[in-house]
Amino acid sequence: MGIHKYSLLGGAFALACVLGLYAPAQAEDVTITVWSQDRDVRPAPNLVADYNKLNTGIKVEYREVPFDDLVNEALRAYSTGQAPDIIAVDNPEHALFASRGAFLDLTDMIAKSTVIKPENYFPGPLASTMWKDRHYGVPKATNTIALYYNKDMFKAKGLDPDRPPQTWAELVDAARKLTDPAANVYGIAFSAKASEEGTFQFLPWAQMAGATYENINTDGAVKALELWKTFLDERLASPDTLTRGQSDSTGTFNSGNAAMAISGPWELDRMVAEAKFDWGVTLLPVPEEGAERSSSMGDFNWAIFSSTKHPDEAFKVLEYFVSQDDRMFGDFGLLPARADIAVAETGQPLKDAALKVFVEQLKYAKPRGPHPEWPKISKAIQDAIQSALTGQMSSKEALDQAAKKIKAVLG
Amino acid sequence: MKGILSSIVDGKGFDIALVALPLTFLVTLSGLPLIYNVLMSFQQVDLFSLGTFWRPFVGLKNYAELFAQPETWPIFANTAIFVVSSIVGQFLIGFGLALFFWTNFPGASWLRGLFLVSWVMPGLVVGAIWNWILSGDFGVLNFLLRESGLTNGNIFWRSDPNYSLWGVIVANIWFGTSFNMILLSVGLSAIPSDLYEAAELDGANAWQRFRTITLPMMRSSIGALMALGLIFTLQQFDLFAAITNGGPNNSSNVAQYWAWELSFRQYDFAKGATVSVIMIVFVILASIVYVRSTRHEVRR
Repeated sequence: MGIHKYSLLGGAFALACVLGLYAPAQAEDVTITVWSQDRDVRPAPNLVADYNKLNTGIKVEYREVPFDDLVNEALRAYSTGQAPDIIAVDNPEHALFASRGAFLDLTDMIAKSTVIKPENYFPGPLASTMWKDRHYGVPKATNTIALYYNKDMFKAKGLDPDRPPQTWAELVDAARKLTDPAANVYGIAFSAKASEEGTFQFLPWAQMAGATYENINTDGAVKALELWKTFLDERLASPDTLTRGQSDSTGTFNSGNAAMAISGPWELDRMVAEAKFDWGVTLLPVPEEGAERSSSMGDFNWAIFSSTKHPDEAFKVLEYFVSQDDRMFGDFGLLPARADIAVAETGQPLKDAALKVFVEQLKYAKPRGPHPEWPKISKAIQDAIQSALTGQMSSKEALDQAAKKIKAVLG
Repeated sequence: MKGILSSIVDGKGFDIALVALPLTFLVTLSGLPLIYNVLMSFQQVDLFSLGTFWRPFVGLKNYAELFAQPETWPIFANTAIFVVSSIVGQFLIGFGLALFFWTNFPGASWLRGLFLVSWVMPGLVVGAIWNWILSGDFGVLNFLLRESGLTNGNIFWRSDPNYSLWGVIVANIWFGTSFNMILLSVGLSAIPSDLYEAAELDGANAWQRFRTITLPMMRSSIGALMALGLIFTLQQFDLFAAITNGGPNNSSNVAQYWAWELSFRQYDFAKGATVSVIMIVFVILASIVYVRSTRHEVRR
């Protein structure tokens, strides 16, 4: 009996040795590659490093791909069979991959998952990861735009700093009062650039007035474009709005050359550091009191390529990323795309107040698309914005032309 | 043909190797992509068929669609304006400077070297700097124009469709002038000075000497410069990306930027290739003109 016991122990020991020797080696065979544009202070590389410390037997390799190359690199890699397992893709481009079967359908995995729960997400970000009612990814983070305003300038021009403009009429009125050419101050700053930034900034206004990208030449959209035209024609906004990105436009607000600015939470840190005045943030004004709200929605989504050899392991890594969503704001300065996570106070009163507005605005954020041909749709909208604002076409004509182009894309 | 044969027959083939090496290099690095590009313009290229070679052939459909787009002709017109104005501006200012430094005042060669600084700067840096200079509200250019009394309001160089293309042209002229100046300086210094001495003895004035000696002697330099200018201006992409993004409303869009935008922004690779093919045709036409115009010099 004793001998038997010892031999059993010995056997177990031998087995343990074998397992001990082989288990890590086998586990190392599973390597999951992750691509994103995140650099050191953003989530992806940090989450990957933290995950590797857990020694789960899955090794994650990270590669940083610059934003401008991400889609092209990924497409090339996918078509030559070299795609990574996991990628973080800009949300309007998600459908491009999902519609062609390049992303793994995660619907069943998510249904079984105890970590990833679709009901936790804001509807906008979640919708951007879906294609034909199936889940092809999960939102990584989110952002949206709202109206920043300079409270000091409001006071100086006799406007109530605690009651920022709530409707389009009030917004134009405030912009007129705040514009001061002698002091180099424009009433409002935003971006109507001929790039995705222009679409990102314009769509919410059209959507608030009842338009959609499939139906862009409605009276509401014309009214929205006319609103923008008023800003430019009356020089309430700089003519360079047409060629300036959001970052540069908001820069003029920070330096006191614009009294209001339309921008997102990504500016908060810069504003806290740069702006030497009292400022606040309010929801995007609506066409008239009580009208439906809307906002645009930015930031990236996680997805797993359908070419992955280790879908289960990749999903586990994804689950880990999602489990760390509560660190998204505190550690990386991005807003989590989830309604169940309260954004922690930062101790900066201006920033905390602004965050509350952005989180509120997120409820109304709508994804661009989702449509696999989004870049073409977006270009049609950009062209319409620019030809109307430069006076080469009337707002109606410009949007009619955009509608025609979009119709051709939608088929 | 006989020469090639004899070199093979006599077993050396060294001259063939000399030709073959660069030729192989050219064919693999320039020829194949070029053919691939032309092929792509006749195919239906899809994002996901980008990695394969065999794709549905659609004939001239890409071309027909391209020319049906309202922005096509304005963009090609912009390209022509951009190329011609840039080359003329770069050449005239470059020639003026080259002649100026040719007078060889103290420190001339040193100053001339300094001018090259603009040429060695990366295009995106030049673009970023000009982006600030041309900025409507706070740009240096507007400040100078206003203070000197030439204008009384700000010109929105980047955002006014009447000026946007010219803003990029001004930046490009600045960018390319020093290169023109250096090449022309080399040409000028190659002219034997006794020609001028003889002409002066014969009583030719400065303008006559310039017209009858300098210009004819500079013919090949100028020809080469024009050909290079065409290539460089048609390659100019960075300034558009950095200053106007082709906007507003395509008023400063040119073929080379548009080709990139179609391929890598709208992922319409077939259309991007089509625009490139049209550009190639123009470059070939221009090079034929160039080769013909300098042919007699080659034979001389």
